[in-house]
Amino acid sequence: MAPELQEMLDSKTRVKLAHNTLMMEQILGESADIVRRDLQCGGTDGVPGVLYFVDGLVDERQLEEGILRPLVGLNDASFLRNVEADDQTVIDRLLIHSSISAVDTYQKAVESLLSGDAVLWLDQYASAFVISVRGGDKRSIEEPQTESILRGPRDGFTEHIRTNTALIRRRIKDPSLRIESIIIGERTRTDVNIAYIADLVKPGLVKEVYKRLQRIEIDAVLESGYIEELIEDAPLSPFPTLLGTERPDRVAAGLLEGRLAVLVDNTPFVLLMPTYFWEFFHASDDYYMRYIAGSFFRLIRYLALFISLTLSSLYVLLVSFHQEMIPTQLALTIAAGRESVPFPVLVEVLVMETAFELMREAGIRMPKPVGQAASIVGSLVIGQAAVQAGIVSPIMVIIIAISGISSFVIPNFSASFSIRLMRIPLIIASGTLGLLGFLIVLFMMSVHLLSLRSFGEPYLAPSVPFRPNDQKDSLFRFPWWSMKTRPQMAQSADRQGNNQRPQKPSHQSAGAEDGTS
Amino acid sequence: MGKDVRVQITSGMFTALIVNLVYPKAIGLTQGIMERQAGGDFWLATIFAILQGGLVLLLTVWVVNRLPNRSLAEQADVVLGKWIGKVIHLSLFVFFVGAFGASAISFVYHLMDYFLPDIPIYVFVLAILVVTVYALFHGLEVISRMAIVGVFSILMLNILLLIGSLKDFDVSQLLPVLQSGFTHTLWVSRQHDTDWAVPVAITGLILPYVSKPKEWRSSALVGAFFGGVTVLMWPMLEAGVLSPQETGQYIVACMQMARSAEIGHFIHRYEMIMVAFFGISLLVQLMLCLFGASLSAAKLIGLKDYRPAIVPVALLVGIAAYLLVLDHNWAIIWLADWWPWLAVPVGFGLPILVGLLSLIRYKKIKQLAASGSVAQNA
Repeated sequence: MAPELQEMLDSKTRVKLAHNTLMMEQILGESADIVRRDLQCGGTDGVPGVLYFVDGLVDERQLEEGILRPLVGLNDASFLRNVEADDQTVIDRLLIHSSISAVDTYQKAVESLLSGDAVLWLDQYASAFVISVRGGDKRSIEEPQTESILRGPRDGFTEHIRTNTALIRRRIKDPSLRIESIIIGERTRTDVNIAYIADLVKPGLVKEVYKRLQRIEIDAVLESGYIEELIEDAPLSPFPTLLGTERPDRVAAGLLEGRLAVLVDNTPFVLLMPTYFWEFFHASDDYYMRYIAGSFFRLIRYLALFISLTLSSLYVLLVSFHQEMIPTQLALTIAAGRESVPFPVLVEVLVMETAFELMREAGIRMPKPVGQAASIVGSLVIGQAAVQAGIVSPIMVIIIAISGISSFVIPNFSASFSIRLMRIPLIIASGTLGLLGFLIVLFMMSVHLLSLRSFGEPYLAPSVPFRPNDQKDSLFRFPWWSMKTRPQMAQSADRQGNNQRPQKPSHQSAGAEDGTS
Repeated sequence: MGKDVRVQITSGMFTALIVNLVYPKAIGLTQGIMERQAGGDFWLATIFAILQGGLVLLLTVWVVNRLPNRSLAEQADVVLGKWIGKVIHLSLFVFFVGAFGASAISFVYHLMDYFLPDIPIYVFVLAILVVTVYALFHGLEVISRMAIVGVFSILMLNILLLIGSLKDFDVSQLLPVLQSGFTHTLWVSRQHDTDWAVPVAITGLILPYVSKPKEWRSSALVGAFFGGVTVLMWPMLEAGVLSPQETGQYIVACMQMARSAEIGHFIHRYEMIMVAFFGISLLVQLMLCLFGASLSAAKLIGLKDYRPAIVPVALLVGIAAYLLVLDHNWAIIWLADWWPWLAVPVGFGLPILVGLLSLIRYKKIKQLAASGSVAQNA
C-alpha cells in the first residue's frame, strides 16, 4: 500500500464534514459501486450529513427503512446541535439500529464501508457512524458438492462467513462455543473466524492457532487454502495436515471433540485442526448410519487406500521381477494379454496413469455435459481402442481402473490426491528395483508420515502412537453408546453418561399396558 | 542427544524397539548357524539365549535406573573416568558397526538370493543407507513410532507363517533333546546372544529418554518376553516342519520355511508378502544400529548432537556392510565365528561391568542420585 494512502487511513477524523468527505473521496477514488448520499437530518435547519455505502454489499431494505427514512424524516434535530451532544447521543437517539458504532479513524470507516456497512458522517461530529447493513446477494445454502453422504443433513457452508457461523451455532447451542474474529490480508481485509468450545479445546491449541494466524503477512486471502498453506505444520509434505470441509455437521462434530475450526469469508471450505491422517477416510454418515454399516464402509475406504496406493506398483513388480509369485493360471492370462504389447510394464503403467489423470482433469475442468462426454470417450473408447491396438494389455486397463475408482472412494479430495501422487514414486521404484524399491519407498513414506504432526498431535495417531482409548473411532466406528469418552485431544473426556446401551424393555412394560402383548 | 534432549519415548515404544531389535536377524540367519553347531538342539539353544538376553536386559535396566538421567556409557564416564568412558564409546561404536553389518547381511541375502539375483549388492547397500539416514534425521521418536509398525509386521509375518505351515508340523522332529549335551547347547546359544546384545546395547543408550522410569522394568520384561516368543516360534517350526537337518543346509533358513508355507491351492507362494513384513522390522533394526553407531561416534568425538555424525558414519558402515555382504562364505564365517566374540563381550559385558563397578563405587552413585543429577545429553 502506498505510504501516502496509509497515512491518510491512519489519520484521525475531524469535525468538519467537508474535510471528512474529501478524505473519503481521496482514499476511495471514483468507484462506480460506492454510493454517496447527501442528507439533511431534521429538515432545512437540520444537520448536514453524508452517507456512504457500497452498492451490492448492503441490504437495501435495511438501508432505506433503518437509516434513510429516520434521518430524512426527522422533524426536530435540535438535540444534534446541543453543545452537550456527543457520539452516544447520535447512537441512542438518532438511529434505532441493532448494530451501530462510532469510529475515529478513516481506516476503520473505510474498512467497515468495504465490508458492507453504511458509514454516516455528520457535520460537527468528529466520529463516523458505522451502521451494520451487510447484505447483498449471496448463494443460498445448498448440499455440499464435494462431500456427498447418504444419510445426514443436506446443508453446506456458503461463501458468507456469518451464514457459516450461524450454521455451526445452530448445531451447538452451548454458551461455551466461541467464535472469534481476526482480519487477514493487507488488501483483501478478509474476515477470518476461529471457532472452538472453550471448555473442550486444549488452551494451548487456541494460543498456537492465534500465533500462527497473527504472523501471516499477505496482501490477499481469497480462499481458506491460503490460510492452510500458511499455518500448516509440514509445508513441504504432500500430505494435508488440516482438514478442509464444506459440511457444518462435520465441523460441529470436530468442535465437540476439542478441535478448532477456522472459517474464512468468501469460501465454503472450513479448516479443522488438529487432524489425524485417518480422518480423511472418515465420512459424516459413518456416524449417522448404524455402527455396523459405518464400520463396514470405513473398512472399504481403508481397502481403497491400500489399493489406490499399491495395486499398480504391485502389478509392476510382480510382472517385471517376481513372476514366480503369481499363481500359474493368472500368470498365463497376464502373459497372453501382454503378448502384443511393445512396452515394458513400467512404461505401460505410467502411460495409463497419465491418461487416467488427463481424463480426470478434463472431466473436472470442462463444462459438465462435455466433461461427462470426455470421461465416457476417455474411458470406453480410448481404453478399448488401446487394448485392440495392442498398446496396453487388458489387465492393465483393469488395474488402472480399479486404482482410479479406489482413489475416488477416499472422501477427501486433497487426501485422495496425495495418495495418487505418492503412487508414482512407488510405481517407478517397483519397476526399477522390484520388491526392494517397493519396500524402500513404502518405508520412507511411512517414516515421513510418522514424522508429521498436526498442531502438535501425531499425524498417525491413534494408531501410532497407539492410543487404546481412541480406538473406538478409528478403524471401526463403535456404537455411540460405547463411545463414552471424547478423543484424547479434548480437554474434557466425558461425553455421555453411564449405561447408555439400550436395554430390552422388561416383560410387563413392553406392550402389556396397550394391550398388544 | 542434541535436538532430541526433550524427546520422550513411551514405554510401549520402548517395548516395540526391543522386539524389533531382537527379531529379524535372529530368525533370518542365526537359526541356520545354530543348527549347524548344535544340530536338533538349536531350538533349545534359542531358549537358553532368550533367558540370558532377558536377564541381561533387566540388569541393564537396573543399572541405568540407578542414575536414570544418564545412559550406560555416561554412567561409565562417571564411575570409571573420562578416558575409560571414551574407550566404552569406541567399543560401542565398533559394536554397532558390526551389528549393522550383521543386519545388512540378513537384509541383502533375503532379497537378493530369493527375489532379485540380478541387482548388484551395492544397490542394496545404498538403498539401506538412504532409508536409514533419512529416518535417522527425523530423530529417535519417529524411529520408535516406526518400531510399533514393525511389531505389527512381525505379528502379521508370524501369523501368516503359522497359517501356512502348522498343518505340516511334526512335534517328533524336535526330539530327542540335548543330543549335543547341555554345555555345548549352552555354548551354541552365544549365537543368539549376539542378537540380544543389540537390544541390550540400545537400551543402555536410550533408556534415559523413555518416559516413566517406574515402568522401565515391566516394559523391558514385556519386550523380552514378546521378542523371545516371536523368535522362538521360528526354530520350533523349522525343526518341526523342515527338520533340523534341512534347516542347517540354508544360509537363510527362514526363507526356506516361508517358501514351504502355503494357504490352500491357489496361494501356494506368498513368501513375498512375508518378506515385505519382515523387511519393515529389519529396516527398523538397521536404523537403530546406525543410530547407535552415530550416537557413540558423536560422544567419542565430543559432539553434542548425533546428527552431524550420521552421514560420515553411514558411509563407514555402508562400506563395512558392503565388504561383509560381498561374499556369502565370508559373511557366514564372520557371523558364526567372529561376530559373537565382539557382540557378546560388548553387548552383555558392558552392563555387567558397569553394574559391578557401580556396586564398588556405590557411594558416588548414591551421591549423584541424591543430588538429582540433571539429564545429560546422551
